[in-house]
Amino acid sequence: MTDEQLDRVIRNADPYRAEVIGQLDGAGQTLLEEIMSEPSTRRPLMRRLVTAVAAAAVLTTALGVTAVLRNHQSAPSSDASGSSGASASPSEEPQVSASGAIRYSAMVLQAAEKNPRLLIKESGWKVGNVYDFVEREGSIEFHNGDRRLEMNWYRAEYYDSYYKDRLDVSKPKPATVDGLPGFLFTYSYGDWAIQLKPNGDSFVELRSSGTWTQAQFDRTVSTIKQVDVQTWLAAMPPEVVTADRADAAADKILADVPLPPNFDRAKVAALGTNSPYHFGALVTGLVGCGWIAEWERARKAGDQAAVRKAADAMKSSHHWKVLNDMNDGGDWPEAFWEVSDKIAAGKDPVGYQDWLGCSR
Amino acid sequence: MISATAPEDRFRLIYAGNFEHLLAYALRRVDQPADAADVVAETFLVAWRRHREIPEGGEARLWLYGVARRVLSNHIRGGVRRERLGVRLRQRLAAPTAPDPGSEVPDRLTVRAAMARLGDLDREVLMLTIWEGLEPREAAAVLEVSPAVVRTRLSRARARLRELLGDDLGPPGHVFDVLAAPVPEEGR
Repeated sequence: MTDEQLDRVIRNADPYRAEVIGQLDGAGQTLLEEIMSEPSTRRPLMRRLVTAVAAAAVLTTALGVTAVLRNHQSAPSSDASGSSGASASPSEEPQVSASGAIRYSAMVLQAAEKNPRLLIKESGWKVGNVYDFVEREGSIEFHNGDRRLEMNWYRAEYYDSYYKDRLDVSKPKPATVDGLPGFLFTYSYGDWAIQLKPNGDSFVELRSSGTWTQAQFDRTVSTIKQVDVQTWLAAMPPEVVTADRADAAADKILADVPLPPNFDRAKVAALGTNSPYHFGALVTGLVGCGWIAEWERARKAGDQAAVRKAADAMKSSHHWKVLNDMNDGGDWPEAFWEVSDKIAAGKDPVGYQDWLGCSR
Repeated sequence: MISATAPEDRFRLIYAGNFEHLLAYALRRVDQPADAADVVAETFLVAWRRHREIPEGGEARLWLYGVARRVLSNHIRGGVRRERLGVRLRQRLAAPTAPDPGSEVPDRLTVRAAMARLGDLDREVLMLTIWEGLEPREAAAVLEVSPAVVRTRLSRARARLRELLGDDLGPPGHVFDVLAAPVPEEGR
């Protein structure tokens, strides 16, 4: 047998049959959606949509507890937060004590005690995007010139999977951050990740990008400190929407936005800590999910007037100030409008729960 | 299509362009077709989590084969199966379908049995070259060895397979072109 003949013999023994693709009945597409709803470095789908704002939304306020505390003291007045008429329960709102220190709700503090936050104490670092900082998850980016350091918190249950995944990146080298043990992985020079072991019910992964030297990375990491939630929240620039600012920020966003029936305004308080863009996306996501649920209910019930009302509300999103303001910053408004246009045209917005983050 | 960020669009394109190739890769290397769903799911999950590292163009497929190879190796070692991901794909692959009579003709089984007796790397070089249709340079990238090693192994694998098959097979160009499905004879 010549090589050619032998190769033909082997080719004919190939067990794969292309017909199998035709028998999958969409299972390949389902798998894609499943995979993309898994947390990646860039977080689930909804969060990825809102992270397209890195360049536009970089906040320039230098980290500094004193400066931010000062800002807290001039935070939105009680008039503003009280005007919504449907704010979260008073016990969830932070209060300013006689000494001027912010007191956060027991819920926020409890979550944070379980999941200590990290701050870079080296001078020159600024906070960039912050999003979805809730109890066990969240992302924060720090910037210092060309250097960036992103910290991602994940649920502890994902740790094994992430650790195994990083073993494909490089050999792990033991590393610590403020005494917390973990491993260093090297993607390439200047692109390092430190994955800390679970602490409480979450774990954190730090990832560098930009122009770093090894010495700079080591020095910066050595300045990172665990802090309690009050310190961490206080270090957020004034633009960042923390729980105490959420109500007033939501008022502003919702000023020209029609609210769906039974809109649960209290959910706004549970959105965690976010950059303004991300907060806008989360709030409009809540509204969109509410209207689409109402549209689906009304369609099922044959309530044409309610169907029209929901469709009109979604259509009006093209004029919502918040979305138009956000449009230069990322893709969230476009995605929202595309779903809205489907509703307005009477088409089923397949997959909208993922796009708009309705499962939150 | 809803607008999305560029990395997300890119991942969707990569998935669309490589899903079938990766499924074929997995199906060729697992005992039970349904297990291919785990390999494909895990491979693309790794790819998703590391999408920034996926190279551009045709190199992406080689990168994915490399990931799949490691996933498969874990799978063979009894790695944990993902219960949640790819359930539907697993069901579809496990679903009884009309058997392809052509896939089980004795001579094909003979060839596969002979391939199973090759060394792991030799067999993989052979499969990547002939079943996946890769050039030595490409197979080398998947296997993380030099193209020279691939050429050497390929030559050795062919020689060994020829030896193993020996006289087991009929004249080439005849046996493997037969219609394996039973065809009613005229007049019956």
